[in-house]
Amino acid sequence: MDHEQHLGLLKKVAVGDRAAFQKLYEATSAQLYAVSLKIMQNRDLAEDALQEAFIRIWHNAQEYTPAKGKVLTWMISIVRYRCFDALRFNKVRQGNGLEQEEVLTSDDFVELTEIEKKQLDFCMDELESKQKQAIHLAFFGGLTHQEVSAHINSPLGSSKSLIRRGMQSLRRCLGL
Amino acid sequence: MNYLQQETKHALAAEFVLGTLHGSARARFRQLMVEHSELADTVNQWESYFNDMALHLNPIVPDDSVWEKIQARLDNAKIKSADDNVVSLPQKTNNFWKGLSVLATAAVVILAVLLVKPIQQPVEDSIQFTVVTDEQNTPLWLIEIFTQKIEAQATKNVLAKANNDYELWMVPKDGSAPISLGLLAQTGKTSLPKNAIFEQIDIAALAVSLEPVGGSPNGSPTEVLYIAELAIL
Repeated sequence: MDHEQHLGLLKKVAVGDRAAFQKLYEATSAQLYAVSLKIMQNRDLAEDALQEAFIRIWHNAQEYTPAKGKVLTWMISIVRYRCFDALRFNKVRQGNGLEQEEVLTSDDFVELTEIEKKQLDFCMDELESKQKQAIHLAFFGGLTHQEVSAHINSPLGSSKSLIRRGMQSLRRCLGL
Repeated sequence: MNYLQQETKHALAAEFVLGTLHGSARARFRQLMVEHSELADTVNQWESYFNDMALHLNPIVPDDSVWEKIQARLDNAKIKSADDNVVSLPQKTNNFWKGLSVLATAAVVILAVLLVKPIQQPVEDSIQFTVVTDEQNTPLWLIEIFTQKIEAQATKNVLAKANNDYELWMVPKDGSAPISLGLLAQTGKTSLPKNAIFEQIDIAALAVSLEPVGGSPNGSPTEVLYIAELAIL
C-alpha cells in the first residue's frame, strides 16, 4: 500500500471511520511492530507500545499534515516516541531481563542494496562507521548519550561529539 | 542561545528526533516548538529523513490480540462517552495516551488535596484535568476543567514570585496563538471563568507562562514555562 492509499484511509480515520482504521492497521502494523520490537526488544512491551501508538493515531489522525512527511513516516514517529516514553517509564533496561530469542539483531535489516537507494542511505554511508553506529544505537535503541558511550566503549564527551559531528555531516549531505 | 539560528535549530531538532535530547532539555525544546513553528517544521524534516531508516526493517506481524485490545479500548471509550451526559465532547479530541506518570502524579495531587482538606460533596465532576509539572515531573498545579469554570489548585512546589504572575493559556491544535485563560494563584485554589472558545476549538495543551504582575502586557505569553496535555475523565 502506498502513501496515497494510507492518506485516503487516514482521512477517513480522522472522521471516525473504524473500518478504515482497521485497514490502516492491517496495512501498517507489521512495519510499525518491527520498529517497536527493535526498540523495546521484548514482545509484550513492544505490543503495548504498538497498541498505545494506534490509539493515539486514532485520536490524532486529524493532526497529520503533509508537512509531517508521508503518513507512514508520521506513524513511525508516533511509535518511536511512545517506545521512548515506555522505556523511560518502565526502566526496561534496569529491570526486565530479555529473553535471548526475543532480541533482534542487525540481521533484521534488509540489505540496503535491495531497496531503492534513498538520499539518506547515501548520506549515512558517507559517515564514519563509529558515527553511523552511534546514530543507529540512539535511533533504534532509544539510548542516551551515556548509554551510547558505554556501548561503543568511548568516553561520554566523544560519544556526544560523534553524534553531533555525524548529524552535521548528515545535514550538509542532505542539503538542509 | 538563539534557538532559531540555522545550525542550532538543526542540531537540536535532529537530537530531539534521534532521542538523545533528554530530560529538561527535551521538555524545554517541546515548549520552544509550541512557540516557534519553524522549529516544529525542522523536527518534521528530520523525522522524514530518519524514519526512512525504520522502513529497512523486515515487517513482523503482531499477535492478533493487539488489534483486539485496541478495538476493546475504542469500544470502552465510546460507551463512556455515551454515558457522559454532562457535556458533549467531540470524540476526536480525546487524548488517551496521557502517560502513566501524569496519571500517577494526578492521583498523588488529588490525594494530597483530600488529605489536607475536609471532604466536600462535589457539586459537579470535572470533565478534564491535567497536572502541570516541571522538568523533573514535580507537580505544580492540578487543573480541573468543569462545564462553566476552570479550577487550579497550586501545590507547595510552586515557586513564589513576588514580582511576577503565572498565567494559564490554552494552546490551539491548529497552531494559532495561545489564548489566555487567566492568572494562576501561587498558593491555594484559583477559580477561573471558562472561556467560551474552550469548547469550540481543538486544544493541543495548556501552557503556563511567567508574566509581569497583572499578566501578559501584549496578549501573548512572555515566557512559556510549562506545557501540559489535557486528559478526559
